[in-house]
Amino acid sequence: MMRPMAILRTVCLVAVISPTAWAGSPGPGSSEPELLAVLRSDAAEADKAITCKFLAVNGSPAAVPDLAPLLSNPRLASWARIPLEAIPGPEAAAALRQAASQLEGRLLCGVLTSLGVRHDGAAVSLLAEKLSAEDAEVAACAAWSLGQIATPEATAILAGALDKGSEPARLDAVARAAVLCGTNLLAAGRADDAIGIFASVRAAGVTEQRLAEAIRGTILAQRAAGIPLLVETLRSPTQRLANMAVFIARGLGRGEAADASLAAAVDKALLAEIAKAATDGAVPRAELLIDVVAERNADDASEAVTEALAGLAGAQNAKPLRLAAIEALGHTGNAAVVGPLLVAAADDDSGIADTARSAVAVLEGEAVNQEIAKRLAGADAAVLPALLELVGRRRIDAVAAVLPLVNHADASVRAAALVALGPTVDLGNLEVLVVAATQPKSEAEGGVARTALREASVRMADRDGCASKLAAAVEKAPAELKVMLLDVIGEVGGAKAVQTMAAAARSGDAALEDAATRLLGKWMTADAAPILLELATAEPGGKFKTRALKGYVRIARQFVLPDAERADMCRRALAAATSEADRTAVLEILVRYPSAATLAVAEEAAKTPGLEAEAKKTAHTIRGKMQPGKKAG
Amino acid sequence: MKRRPSLTSRRGFLKGGLAAGAAVAAPTIIPSSALGLDGAVPPSERIVVGGIGIGRRGEYDLGCFLQQPDVQFAAVCDVKENRRNHLKGVIDKHHGTTACVTYRDFHEILDRNDIDAVLIATGPNWHGLMAMHAAHAGKDIYCEKPCTKNIAETLVHRDTMHRCGTVFQAGTQRRNLPHFAFACELARTGRLGKLTRVYAHPAGMKASTSGWLPEEPAPDAAVDDWDMYLGPAAWRPFNARTLKDGFNFEKGGGLVGGGVLEWGSHCVDLCQWAVDDRPPPVDYAPPKDDQLVCRYDDGVELVFREKGWIPLGSCPVRFEGTAGWVEAGDSGKMVLSSPELLAGRKIEEIGGYPATFHVRDFLDCVKTRGKPKGNADAACNAHLACHAANIAIYLGRPVKLDLETYTFVNDEAANRLRSEARREPWNA
Repeated sequence: MMRPMAILRTVCLVAVISPTAWAGSPGPGSSEPELLAVLRSDAAEADKAITCKFLAVNGSPAAVPDLAPLLSNPRLASWARIPLEAIPGPEAAAALRQAASQLEGRLLCGVLTSLGVRHDGAAVSLLAEKLSAEDAEVAACAAWSLGQIATPEATAILAGALDKGSEPARLDAVARAAVLCGTNLLAAGRADDAIGIFASVRAAGVTEQRLAEAIRGTILAQRAAGIPLLVETLRSPTQRLANMAVFIARGLGRGEAADASLAAAVDKALLAEIAKAATDGAVPRAELLIDVVAERNADDASEAVTEALAGLAGAQNAKPLRLAAIEALGHTGNAAVVGPLLVAAADDDSGIADTARSAVAVLEGEAVNQEIAKRLAGADAAVLPALLELVGRRRIDAVAAVLPLVNHADASVRAAALVALGPTVDLGNLEVLVVAATQPKSEAEGGVARTALREASVRMADRDGCASKLAAAVEKAPAELKVMLLDVIGEVGGAKAVQTMAAAARSGDAALEDAATRLLGKWMTADAAPILLELATAEPGGKFKTRALKGYVRIARQFVLPDAERADMCRRALAAATSEADRTAVLEILVRYPSAATLAVAEEAAKTPGLEAEAKKTAHTIRGKMQPGKKAG
Repeated sequence: MKRRPSLTSRRGFLKGGLAAGAAVAAPTIIPSSALGLDGAVPPSERIVVGGIGIGRRGEYDLGCFLQQPDVQFAAVCDVKENRRNHLKGVIDKHHGTTACVTYRDFHEILDRNDIDAVLIATGPNWHGLMAMHAAHAGKDIYCEKPCTKNIAETLVHRDTMHRCGTVFQAGTQRRNLPHFAFACELARTGRLGKLTRVYAHPAGMKASTSGWLPEEPAPDAAVDDWDMYLGPAAWRPFNARTLKDGFNFEKGGGLVGGGVLEWGSHCVDLCQWAVDDRPPPVDYAPPKDDQLVCRYDDGVELVFREKGWIPLGSCPVRFEGTAGWVEAGDSGKMVLSSPELLAGRKIEEIGGYPATFHVRDFLDCVKTRGKPKGNADAACNAHLACHAANIAIYLGRPVKLDLETYTFVNDEAANRLRSEARREPWNA
């Protein structure tokens, strides 16, 4: 039988163990009597330590008499408290209380803390006594446990201990516990009691951080009645308090504890604060509060909120406020704000205009798309680029209206139309981009068209259809653009793309062969394997034989394949390999995927002159990996 | 659900937020950049940060903080003297000063009123409790994961962040990477149809413990403070190997932990985002055939699986719905069931899971008191799922979680694993 100490040391060496490794030994599956026998023996401390952990799961109150004596042992007390916090029933708590009367210093801290973890109401008077212990660490632990327990008696004790005259660290420990207590009271539905203890904290001359926590607790407990305190705190000159107010304001009435009327009341108060800040010229403050309102209303902004934000986006306001409001509208608005935002999008200030276009781009709803498409029809050259940008960014189905604009007299409109087609054009109209990319009106427009063509091609659902159109274009395209088109076909992928690559790789055109083998070498599906093998083994073979073999080996190494198929690929790769490095790479694949099939390949390879030693080693490693529980040599 | 607006992406607010004329102690620094004379952010608008337990991972995070022009790293605390001194060198070199102060006891760093925020990158033994201490001290917190050791600590951790008004960012930086965000958006917004399964890669589904290695002579506490290193972990004698392995020490509290918690705090976190950060699953089955299946209350499954991933790098996740699926990993790439899911969007590929954007998100929220992506609620739900899954692993049988009480239904053994006593004198 393996003893716990030996288990622990084994664990340390291997770092990771499975529960089955403990089967048959004292461990997770051991009975309580077996574990207690270890505690009662002269076993090493390490044995007793791990036994305590197992007792945390398997122990009963019967284990308490054996665990309790360990509480005074500085080396084992922390282990003993693990089961003593976990074992149900009054016995464990009683043992902890008993120990508290006999211990001091850190060991006393430990048992006091455990009583708090157990929410032991019977320990309140004991904890109250320790609250005034000379040892500040002990007093702090007692305070924490009272905050955890949070009974009326514990609450009163903590409130009474919030003495302004205390030494600061002691006062802070009690205040921290009192805030914890208030939070626990609030969670238990005792809002009035929570407000009481938070008030005690706020009146006690505590640190800014503790004051901020108590204010938060008060506002959460008071709900709508707490809004004036929220606003007052937002205005605080104390940074920590104001920060806490912003933190609260972002979520009050929202999220998990959503309350529509509370949320509306908070929004109203915040909008009033924004207006006040704008009037006072406190621009950063207004900006930040706009950000808060935007986050609060990201899912379902009310009319009042969008109206207020639209007002702030108006030209009469300072630029930073307008920018903040415009961005906020993008995240909270709807089709009704498209008009005001498009006005801003035409602003002379490019910062305002850019921000407004971005805001429209992220507005939600089909009605927004319809509004933009409607405006596209009658727009002039000055407005069209912005509208076309929105068509593209929002992927609005307005291809019929955009296609004629590819031939518009204004170059900026033509370029914008090409960009808009990238994310919107369908396969039937892809030819427009092919022509623009291969027969451009200018070099710059050609670049725009090529980017749009790539963008359009890679999103086509009918990949083979798309690849067919592009393959046809390769044949007709000028030499300098053929490789570009092959690159796009490579990104499209699919069966037709593989065929196109195969043809290009055998074309006799060095540039096309280079591009095709490069692309096949990083293909993302395994159907490129046969053509890569063919290219690697063809006689006399081209310039890119080695590259093709490496691509073939990559697929064997990286892709999810049935064992037999992978093994067959490795067999073929070994036969095709002409360098030691390539053969080694194949043997490494065999080791990486140990199976009967890969073992057979390794054993065959061991008969190949020049490969015997390495292949034998490979076969040995595979056999080792195939034997459960045995580490590979 | 819409994305939370972030005005700070446009420009930052003053650190003082709403407070007019809030006094901020100027750091004792000389260079003109420190005074804002060369276009740098002036001291009054900087966020003053202190680091606690900055090991290898923490030093990476530190680098991300130092990249931000509005960060002044003022102090570091570590139980290891050599780490303290090394980090002071790194920080002082970056700021061009000698002002970084070193501490052995974290209380001293938390007591400094001029420090706004802390980076906590101790081992996982300390993460949860240290964060709660920092929150009580009024600090905002960027904390590495896993953030907690058990279910009870997870709940108290979340409540403490709320109670203290703390801006908390878990080190779940993938929430601020575009391809993971897009994958989650597809799932969350119904673009994959009705969501049926979300998959996470645990990289090891075993129970683990840190054990008790043979006693060795303890160094002077001024060199290596063993007592502080142990912190809330049950006592054991000094051993240099244990001291060195803070990354794994007491992860998950001892009997439960392992890959489900280590990686789950990332990939389960992403799955939680994909299901709109709802409460964690209710049903947890032990692993079978390299899969551990959990079920949310509406039937959606969270599947921890070891194999069957498209090769997209570490920390892969996959979300499946009735209308499609998406898989993404640390390469920065994702694979979609249909390119139509992209809907013309360009998703930037950022591989290597950098934390820079996550740190920036945190700093922006420090200024606005906003909710960062890896906030305390999100971290809570993900960690609850990981801890509950680990309890199913440890017990080797299914467990059922009650989402009202976060206790296991009619399951005393599982409930006893919800928490674990902390070593004296530590409490929450």
